[in-house]
Amino acid sequence: MHGTASGIEVRNLRKTFGGGTVVACDDVNLDIGSGELLVLLGPSGCGKTTTLRCIAGLENPDNDDAIWVRGRNMTRLAPRDRNLAFVFQDTALFPNLTVRRNISFGLDMRGKLSRAEIEARVTEAARLLRIEGLLDRYPRQLSGGQGQRVGLGRAIVMEPDAFLLDEPLAALDAALRVEMRTEIKLIQRKLATTMIFVTHDQEEALTIGDKIAVMKDGRVQQVDSPQDIYRRPSNLFVATFIGSPPINQFRCELRQEGGEVRLVSPIFTLSLPAELARRFAAADRGLILGLRPEFVEIGREAGGIEGVVRLTELLGSRTLVLVDAGGTEIRVLVQGEPGVREGDRVRLVLQLARGFYFDLDGRSLL
Amino acid sequence: MTDDRSSPGQKALGHGGLALVLALVLIPYVYVIVTAFKPAEEIYDATWLPQRISFDAWIEVFEVNRFHLYLWNSLVAGAGSAALAILIAVPGAYIFARKEFRFREPFFYMIVGTLIFPFILLIVPITITWIRIGLFDTFIGLWLAFQIFAVPYSMWILRGYFAGLPKNLEEAAMVYGCTQFQAFYRVMLPLAKPVIVSVLFLAFLQGWSDFLFSNMLTTGDGPRTASVAIYASTAGGERVDWQVLMVMTLLTGVPPVVLYMLAQKHLAKTFAAT
Repeated sequence: MHGTASGIEVRNLRKTFGGGTVVACDDVNLDIGSGELLVLLGPSGCGKTTTLRCIAGLENPDNDDAIWVRGRNMTRLAPRDRNLAFVFQDTALFPNLTVRRNISFGLDMRGKLSRAEIEARVTEAARLLRIEGLLDRYPRQLSGGQGQRVGLGRAIVMEPDAFLLDEPLAALDAALRVEMRTEIKLIQRKLATTMIFVTHDQEEALTIGDKIAVMKDGRVQQVDSPQDIYRRPSNLFVATFIGSPPINQFRCELRQEGGEVRLVSPIFTLSLPAELARRFAAADRGLILGLRPEFVEIGREAGGIEGVVRLTELLGSRTLVLVDAGGTEIRVLVQGEPGVREGDRVRLVLQLARGFYFDLDGRSLL
Repeated sequence: MTDDRSSPGQKALGHGGLALVLALVLIPYVYVIVTAFKPAEEIYDATWLPQRISFDAWIEVFEVNRFHLYLWNSLVAGAGSAALAILIAVPGAYIFARKEFRFREPFFYMIVGTLIFPFILLIVPITITWIRIGLFDTFIGLWLAFQIFAVPYSMWILRGYFAGLPKNLEEAAMVYGCTQFQAFYRVMLPLAKPVIVSVLFLAFLQGWSDFLFSNMLTTGDGPRTASVAIYASTAGGERVDWQVLMVMTLLTGVPPVVLYMLAQKHLAKTFAAT
């Protein structure tokens, strides 16, 4: 039996272009509960937009039973028969129609509601989106943010089973983007409608998502809550893609020496804490240590990794310190003032217990 | 004009040059108008203003030549040809702009390439064919013959325009309740209005002013068009009543100018974009 009763399920979705030569989506599986906000996150070309377009019916998947909504197989249904509302990156508003007619377009086409009921829904959506004053304008008279609000309005009045948003904020400036993403989340909460939100911006994904699906090369790498994506990345790609400033990576050898498990790299040799050591007890092997910049400390006492401060960057309440340790650049995130200056000699302490450990293929070892 | 740094002499020279070009263009037209109002006896006087303004030629054109009938024929020939061209070219151009299929580009350039073909070579075979299948001396025969040019250049212009329209407008229409066909005619077609008006204008103009096909494919008993009637009125150049000829020329030349002024806004949009 496929499909949960009320959500959206993507099952083994495969989508190729160019007669099978270009694989956009490969074995994509997603399970989005009713009322949930799922973010599809990944770099450009990872297949996230293609996945969304397959759900909407704008692309035709290779397999016949890939898209399920409310327990119904929608894979081969026309977009108009899916009761899903799509919001486009560049708004795709109809330039020849007023904002009012743009918003009511879907209801006008459906033809089930009376004129008065349609007007009521348009007014209600416009109020929610704070665009009541724009209803008689044409799309060319709108700013980017206003256009995107109208695009949302066109979706909201449909009262769809889900909203599908394809990088809706990518074209907006930074301040507006932050404001709009909060607003979108509030609206989604208020309407309690399932939403799939595509973005390449990891910060946007972390702030807005109930769940995040990270994609790369047409495959889903990990689906989890934002917290778990951040704290327990399932592979090196997820670990590097999520988090800003990006994670530090160290290629190391794991060595059993004198009853201790040591992590040996060209710039350091460190003993693993006992609890971690037990988990790696297996054998000597190569691995990759990933450590977020906030888990590197600038130490005072002797020991630790020697380095020279190359640069400090103020990031508001925190400061990023770039340290050159024997040719390896290490990013350190410090709360408040760093207390060091460019050119200072420092000693770095790695909080190994907070590190991520991957095999040389990038798979998590924990 | 504010940053014009040329000296008064240069300016005078420039304006003088422009005046000369303007005169070269306008003088023949002015002379046509003047001649149309000259009495017969003054035709060969090389004067700009007639001694007496005469409407004799105008009366003759309508009462003897019954020229309004030929103007009507031209109108039907041009309008019908334009309508047919749009009916064929709009769906065709849309498919060539939007659908992926094998040999799309070669097919398209074969269609557009027919514009290069010396169409004069087609006149005799078409005339013979039209006589055989009963299209000779009919409007339908004229309309179909005009499509030889009207369809390729209409498709050329329209395809460029459709290809330039954002694809996601149709996708938005399809998500919000349209079938592909509805998306086309509710969203794409209204957006293509300037181009469709332009194509209609050009196809009309071509049908209205065509001589070669109209002359070969019609007789005095059938839908003979104005341009052919003008030629016929001179008995093939044997007998020329200049004042009558000029009235007919004026009557044939003015409608396209008026139409152009009406369509000008759309034409500017179309050809500024392509």
